[in-house]
Amino acid sequence: MNSRSILLVESIRKSFIRNTISMSGDSIDERYHIIDDLDMEVPEGKITALIGGNGAGKTTLFNIISGFVSPDSGEILFRKNDKVIPLTNMSPHDRTRLGIGRMFQDTHIFPNMTVMENMLIASSETNGEQPFVSLVVFCREDRVEKKRISKAREIFETLFGQESPLWLKRNEPATSLSFGQQRLLGLARLFMGDYSLVLLDEPTAGVSPQLIPQIIMIIRFFVESQGITVFLIEHNMKVVQELADFCTFMSHGRITAFGTPEDVIGNPEVRKAYMGV
Amino acid sequence: MNYIVHILIIINIYVILTISANLVIGMVRMLSLGQAALYGIGAYLSVFALMTLKLPLEAVAIFVMLGTSIASLLVAYPSLRLRGDYFVLATLGFQSIVFAILYNWIPVTKGPYGISGIPAPKLFGILQISGNVSFLLFSSVAAIVTIGFFYYLIHSPFGRVLKGIRDDELAVMSLGRNVTAFKIWAFILSSAFTGLAGMIFATYISYIDPTSFGLDESIFILAAVLIGGVGNLRGPAIGAVFVVLLPETLRFVGLPDYVAANLRQIIYGLALILLMRYRPQGLAGDYQIQ
Repeated sequence: MNSRSILLVESIRKSFIRNTISMSGDSIDERYHIIDDLDMEVPEGKITALIGGNGAGKTTLFNIISGFVSPDSGEILFRKNDKVIPLTNMSPHDRTRLGIGRMFQDTHIFPNMTVMENMLIASSETNGEQPFVSLVVFCREDRVEKKRISKAREIFETLFGQESPLWLKRNEPATSLSFGQQRLLGLARLFMGDYSLVLLDEPTAGVSPQLIPQIIMIIRFFVESQGITVFLIEHNMKVVQELADFCTFMSHGRITAFGTPEDVIGNPEVRKAYMGV
Repeated sequence: MNYIVHILIIINIYVILTISANLVIGMVRMLSLGQAALYGIGAYLSVFALMTLKLPLEAVAIFVMLGTSIASLLVAYPSLRLRGDYFVLATLGFQSIVFAILYNWIPVTKGPYGISGIPAPKLFGILQISGNVSFLLFSSVAAIVTIGFFYYLIHSPFGRVLKGIRDDELAVMSLGRNVTAFKIWAFILSSAFTGLAGMIFATYISYIDPTSFGLDESIFILAAVLIGGVGNLRGPAIGAVFVVLLPETLRFVGLPDYVAANLRQIIYGLALILLMRYRPQGLAGDYQIQ
């Protein structure tokens, strides 16, 4: 593993059984390799964009890194404090505690909680969440809970300012936010954790163009102010060019190009396979 | 007067049952059909503690709550890894097994003959709780303690994670929480208080047999929770009052017992259908079971 990489994905394979109907009308089960002997590294302290067509296996790769999907074979190594830790057989919540944050393609906010509660539940500080300790914590207005609230307030103020809709609606249900605002909440929630790598699955998908500069600013803030490595899936090539330090192209379950965004997007094979030009 | 006191004691017992069931059903969205089994385990354990170990009331309560929690762990650990319908089936299996044990392990449980002559418990080994008024006070204190405990619990950081699990399990996992551990804790705490309700029932009625803890009773508890509504404490408590008072109102209509019993089932069924159609969150619930 390269000393400047935070994540190494080594010989990962993942296949599904796909049921198809033949010309004669027979049902046939065939093995479909969504990830096919994939190797890649994510450079530490940088923004790396993962691009590729629909069905290329990008989200499956993110799910394998987060632990939500088990690979058929291969290994994933994560660097933390100069130690290389194998992630294989580690549960998703243990990977999160190790320092790998995840934002899904859907917002995955908690609809029956307020905006503030959505922030508090994302805190890496889990003291007081044990049931009996929790009772004491509640009775004593525990310092940990106050610390969580104070951190959430600080994140809101830093990212959006005091008069932002997110701040003003902090005590309202998260469903009162627009889709774009929910996306911003999802990003803000990641700052409550103690992450060294965040995986962002299409952070600009479905949001209005006015919000995209704000999302770009937040993603830059991860790296520049917090020193967090960002690995993101993105279809908007303008965003990739503006934001990413590195770009990697995935096709048919494999990485076929890696380099600067200009190199990869300018690669004739990528342009032909992905953009059809 | 005695009749009203009796009804209030039964309401207290059902308030404890529904509020503790709400933690599993309403807070982590796990539909359990094994609540009556845990209620029965609590009742039989209390009889053992009172008649064989001859413990005072406070020790019986601790013994019952611990014993029911441990028993619930046997089903919680393997079952909570199951989702949705599979979990419901696993709890149904647990309910059937416990009922079969209570019914057939005659040397210990006396099977269908039941256990009679359960002595009145003594608080601190001195103060005997006998008579309807004493039991009303005792069950009211137990119900208030239960309400207080679960109120603090669901408004605590622990309760917040449970709400998160109910809304979006995947998101909670991605935020670094061990969802299975939280569900097991919810199941254990719910079971402890369900066992406590069993203890109050056994000592109050002074006779228990397995028919009080069958699948019908589990469905009855579930119906009370769903009719009242989940996600807060108000809903399950109202559900408990509703299901206890409804059959009592039929008494005054003057119907024969066998007609009233069947009518009661029809009214519960109808209430459930109407609520699911017109008020899926129940009479006073915060959350709609899907």
